Amino acid sequence: MRNILAIFKKEFKIYFDTPVAYVIFGIFSLISGYFFLQIFSYFQRQSLQFLQYQAPQMLEHMNLNDMVMRPLFLNINVFFLLMIPVITMRLIADEKRLKTYELLMTTPVSTWQIVIGKYLASLSVILAMVLIVFIYPILLSFFGSEGGLSTGSIEWMPLITSGLGLFLAGAAFAALGIFASSLTESQIISAIVAFGLLLLFWVIGWASAGAEGVLKEVLRYLSILEHLDQFTKGLIEIKDVIYYFSVIFFGLFLTQQSVSSQRWR
Amino acid sequence: MIEVKGLTKFYKQIRAIEDVSFTVEKGDIVGFLGPNGAGKTTTMKIITGFMPPDSGTAKVAGFDVFENPMEVKRRIGYLPENPPLYNDMTVNDYLRFVAEIKGIESKKIGEETDRVSESCGIKEVRKRLIAHLSKGFRQRVGIAQAILGNPEIVIFDEPTIGLDPNQVFEVRSLIKELAREKTIILSTHILPEVEMTCRKVIVIHKGHIVAKEHIEDLLRRRTKISEMTVRVKRFSIELMKQIKDRFDVKVNQPPEMDNGFNIIFESPEDKREEIAKYIVDSGFGLLEFRPVTLSLEDVFRELTTEEKTA
Repeated sequence: MRNILAIFKKEFKIYFDTPVAYVIFGIFSLISGYFFLQIFSYFQRQSLQFLQYQAPQMLEHMNLNDMVMRPLFLNINVFFLLMIPVITMRLIADEKRLKTYELLMTTPVSTWQIVIGKYLASLSVILAMVLIVFIYPILLSFFGSEGGLSTGSIEWMPLITSGLGLFLAGAAFAALGIFASSLTESQIISAIVAFGLLLLFWVIGWASAGAEGVLKEVLRYLSILEHLDQFTKGLIEIKDVIYYFSVIFFGLFLTQQSVSSQRWR
Repeated sequence: MIEVKGLTKFYKQIRAIEDVSFTVEKGDIVGFLGPNGAGKTTTMKIITGFMPPDSGTAKVAGFDVFENPMEVKRRIGYLPENPPLYNDMTVNDYLRFVAEIKGIESKKIGEETDRVSESCGIKEVRKRLIAHLSKGFRQRVGIAQAILGNPEIVIFDEPTIGLDPNQVFEVRSLIKELAREKTIILSTHILPEVEMTCRKVIVIHKGHIVAKEHIEDLLRRRTKISEMTVRVKRFSIELMKQIKDRFDVKVNQPPEMDNGFNIIFESPEDKREEIAKYIVDSGFGLLEFRPVTLSLEDVFRELTTEEKTA
């Protein structure tokens, strides 16, 4: 446990003492802010339209949770797919490049401890990103109800499940990312491999459109972006949670195997 | 303390080391001498538990490196060829990190990092970012890292490579200082380095051990008293002839030498005193009269050829 903490602290320091984390947060805020602005102004235009056409039954569907926050989370999920390989790319690859790998492998630390410590550090960055997303509903809760629209109130429970879901999705991406990082000493290759893996896990779901029966379900289930949907509706479904945890375990297991097998080559 | 038996390691098809065996006693300072690519680093990486051999065993303090790697790693401090430093960390943070992963008690970490910074002379750079350190300081931080936690055995892979002469001197004195209480293995391809710091030497060449001996024996090998170099102030070919005829020895003048020549004794009889006296008396102005010292390459050649004929 102490070793995991030591590795975690070191990685955390490198993320937060160097500009890395802040650049990531900056870009992430910029892009997610843009998403938010676009989705929100679309929502606003639609609400006004419905108001003009006196369509109260349509207006009932217009609430901030479903029409703003949900699409925001789903979009950010896709954006995570691009960002997380960048967060995880240096974790193991850079140790190899700097030859500090030899230090880690010749001190009494197990490969599991190294992998877990590093992984947890990347989760801290992802957690911070999820928290950044919560700036938007907080803004909405202050300013969303202005103008007397009955639609302007926020329900927090679905947002919390969405946040949890997004974090789990990020954690699953990071587990594949750290695996990619363990394969090479080049950060660029690491990022590209992680990106490829994640993309593959996404597009595998597309095949379900042409498939039938069990295969269709399996392909859908494998798709990595599929599983946030229920979370954003405020539902925590066990199958989604199991999915994320399996990907995390799978990724970390492969990483551990890859790190310890390096000694044998 | 360290017992290595029959280590063999191949990288793909290329043999790095073959059948390497040696023992290191507690308190020894052993120099691991060999040209680049001889297999020094490979052997060290195996002893430290960084990678396994294809065959053979290595035991450190009675623990097999591959059955009990954690016990072995607890007892070894290792400075790889490139000091394993994180450029984005300060020296202080770095030392604390290494202390933590070496399992030093939290209460003692401050004391321990103070101690190693003191003995490696890095106190004044402790707050600096490692990326901003000079090569000499980086090397010292590397050494500090290796001796954190007071390991019984310290292994240095080419500790002075790439340093300027002053830094080389400092690092060597640092190692000598450590040698009082620890078992040390040090690899190098510089013969004088071994002479200056080590008590025993293991010579490795093309993956094989070609000699294991005390440093005095190596020195004796290196200086051939059967061959002397003479330099005089007023050189003439006449002197060479006179010496050759008078003392019944062979003489030859290497092309790069313009005021001297070598004398090769063919009989075991020691004629050095008479020759010196003769040169001085005949007024050539003796400047230098010394045994020919072999270069590292010559020592290797001698060692490797001897092995073959034996």
